[in-house]
Order: sequence, then C-alpha cells, then structure tokens
Amino acid sequence: MPLIMILYYIICAYIAGMLVWNFIREKKSVNDMLLYLLVMIPLVLRILRVK
Amino acid sequence: MYLRIGIILAIMVVAYSLAKWKNLSVELSMLSAAVCGGIAGAFVSTPPIGQLARHLVEGAFTYLDVILVFSTATIFMAIVRESGGVNYVVRATIKYFYNLRIIALILLMIIVLIPGALTGAGSVSLLVVGAPVALALGYLGITKRRIAAILFIVAGLSAAAPPVNIWAMILSAGTAIPYVGFELPLGIPVLILGTFTVLFLGWKRERTMDLGEVLKEMPEVPERMSWWRVILPFLIFFGLIVASRILPFSTPILGLPLEFVIAALVALLVSPKKIKILELSRDTMKRLLPLLATMVVVGMLQQVMTATGVRGLLSFAVISTPITLLFILLAVIIPVSEGVLTYGGAAIIGIPLIWFLDSIGLHATVAIAGLSLLWPLGDGLPPTALIGRLSVMVSEYKDSYWTFLRSTWLPWLIITVVGILMIKFSADLEFLVRWSI
Repeated sequence: MPLIMILYYIICAYIAGMLVWNFIREKKSVNDMLLYLLVMIPLVLRILRVK
Repeated sequence: MYLRIGIILAIMVVAYSLAKWKNLSVELSMLSAAVCGGIAGAFVSTPPIGQLARHLVEGAFTYLDVILVFSTATIFMAIVRESGGVNYVVRATIKYFYNLRIIALILLMIIVLIPGALTGAGSVSLLVVGAPVALALGYLGITKRRIAAILFIVAGLSAAAPPVNIWAMILSAGTAIPYVGFELPLGIPVLILGTFTVLFLGWKRERTMDLGEVLKEMPEVPERMSWWRVILPFLIFFGLIVASRILPFSTPILGLPLEFVIAALVALLVSPKKIKILELSRDTMKRLLPLLATMVVVGMLQQVMTATGVRGLLSFAVISTPITLLFILLAVIIPVSEGVLTYGGAAIIGIPLIWFLDSIGLHATVAIAGLSLLWPLGDGLPPTALIGRLSVMVSEYKDSYWTFLRSTWLPWLIITVVGILMIKFSADLEFLVRWSI
C-alpha cells in the first residue's frame, strides 16, 4: 500500500477517533449523538476497507 | 411513470416538512426524507427494498473527500487561532491602519476570506476569526447591525472563494467536470464583491476612539508571536499546491487533506504557546458536526433520489423551463434551496441545471462559479440560516434578524446580478478558466 494511502487511513482513523470520543462524552443531545453515528459511517467503513 | 415519481417526491417533501415541524434538525429532516423516499420507491422496486440500506450507505460515501477537507482544514485554522495568530494579525491591522480606513477594512475582509476559502465553509471563517474581526470593525466605529451584515456577506463569499468551494466540488463531482480552473472565475468576483461590500457597509463611522485606547481593549497576543510564525504554515500549504502545479511529474499527489495536515503540523511546531492538540481537535469536530452530517445526509439523499427517479424528474423540470424564466428564477431558487437543504441544493437542483446549461452551449466551469456566488446568500435564509445566525452571534447584534438581513440588500442584489450575468455570459468568460490552469 503506498505511503500516501496509509497516511489517509491514519487521517480517517484520527477523525473517527475524535468523533467516537465526542459521541461517548455526549450525554444530553440525542440529535448530536445520531449525527455522530451518521458521520462515522463512511469513515469507519473506509478504515475497515468495506466498500 | 411521472405520477409514480411525483408521488415519491411528494412523500419526501412531506417527510421533510413533518420532521421540521417536529423540530428535528435540518440534517435529520433530510435523512427522514431520504429514508421515506427510499421506502416509497421500494413499493415499485425502485430501489428494491433489499437494496435500500446499500444505497443509503453508498450515498454516505459520496462526499467523504469533502468531509476530510473540511475536517483537516478546520483543525489547521483552529491551531492558527489557538496559537494567537488570528489575534496577532487583527491587532496589527488596527495598529498600523487605524487611520487608513480603506486599507483597514480591506485587510479585515481578507482575514475573514482566508479560513472560508481554505475550508469551503463560511461558518468556519466566523468561528475562527469572526469575533476578533467583529471587535476590530466595532473599533472602526461601525454599528453592530452593519458589522453583522459585513460578516454575513463576506463569510458567504469566503465559502465561494478558491481553492475550496464545496458547491463547485459537489457540482463538479455530480456532472463529471474536473475541479480545476476555478481560481480566477471565483477569485476575481469574490475579491471585487467583498471589497464593495466592506466599503459600502463599513464606510460610515458612527463614533471615534483613540488608537491607544483601542489597542488596550483588544485581546492580547502571546509575547513570542511574530509574522513568520503566522505566515510559515500558509507558505507551506500554498507551496505544496504550487509545487504540484509547477512540477506535476516529480511531486507526489498529496491531496488537499494531507496538505492541510502538513500545514497544521508546521503551525503546531511554530506556535509560541503549547497547544493541546487532542482537545482542540475534539472541540473542532464538535463544532463541525452539523456541516459534516449535512455532507453525509446530502450524499444519501442524492443516491435515493437517483435510485427512485426523482432526480431525473427534477432534471426534466429544469430543462423544460423556458430559458429566460429560468435565469430570472435563479435569483430565488438558488438561495432558497440553500436555506432549506444547505449543500443539498447544489446536488439536487445544481447538477441538472449545469447539465442543461452545458447542453445549450454555456461554459460549465464559469456557470458553476456564477451559481456558487448565489448559494451563500441562502445561508442567511431560514430554516437553516447558518451563516446569518453565526454573524449575528459573533457581532453581538441583539435586534431583529430581518432588520439585519435587510441591511444587506444592496450587496445581495449586486452579488445576484453578477452571479446571473456570469452564467449568462459564461462562454465569453471562458478565458478565465484557461488562465487559471
């Protein structure tokens, strides 16, 4: 796998990590929790290499 | 067939309206429209019910690249702000140009343009530089209503400015037009319209203050902050972009997200104060959540509309409209679509519109640039009014929202006319695209 592609997987993982962290800390807004889950869909699937 | 697709479209509109009525956010309302549209389509096997989940997930991937650009660019700008860079530049503008009003106003406009131009989101401009710039405009004797109006128009223009214009990216992706050659068709009108706006709305001085008093009131900057610490990350970023243009065969293709990450690392290294990068990133992602969710949901909605035939029906409606009427309607349809669907408007109305304009001999890239000037105006319209609400918030304007919006009438009108004329005469302006490449 080329280096640049590996770096992009790392960027995806970093952003997904921040979203997971926010999701776990979110206690009040159900709307925000749902939005975190939605945004995580493409990022997590890309990290798992599921098309 | 038309009746069937029309019913699916009506179900999507009703689902969206019901969700809004129940006070769901715009993103969840659009999601409910996509899901209900997909289920309605499944009754006639467009798409088959077993394929619906696949379509939704596949749609979520449509703008993954845009999501990465948004996220990395905003983290980069957040590091520049946190290091004191934004306050340093705003303070220097007031210090050296307080008595040269035109230059001070134009520099403050450019400061607002930069974060939006780099990230493609006017809201990021307001979140990163909105408060210090609003403060500086206040010291220049401008009323809060006019400050909110300046921020709204300029932040909207910043979202349209190159190198990152999300509307143009969505339209380019949807119409198979490469996202190249937009620098001059977008950059020139944005700079001219921004300068006009800031001078028209900011020229009148309501009160005067002593410069020493102003500087005392402005936020402090870290002691070790200097020009090179502010400029170096931007030089690295633009250097990487220029290098890939000048030496295309010997420069690796990094892509905007990786270029922003490299610039962010440089900004972090040269920051005069320690930055807690994990906390800053987490906070940035929290602020970006509505924008990122919009991109995911718009992709889903677009996929469902394609699978059900609704997108085809809308395309047909666009190409059936008499051309003169279409040009007149653009002034209303485009901003309203942004107000209701945010970036979804570009995918749903913009893509068939560009197909049509291209087919009648207009230049697609310049036409996209012209449309891109109209969409940001919709960010001041309800139900979303994303940039409008943020402008009011950072400028601490307390009176009626509509009074603030009314004060933008002349820049709004001129931007609309310029955008429509750019579309109408796009074939004659094709040289701007050639000069950009």
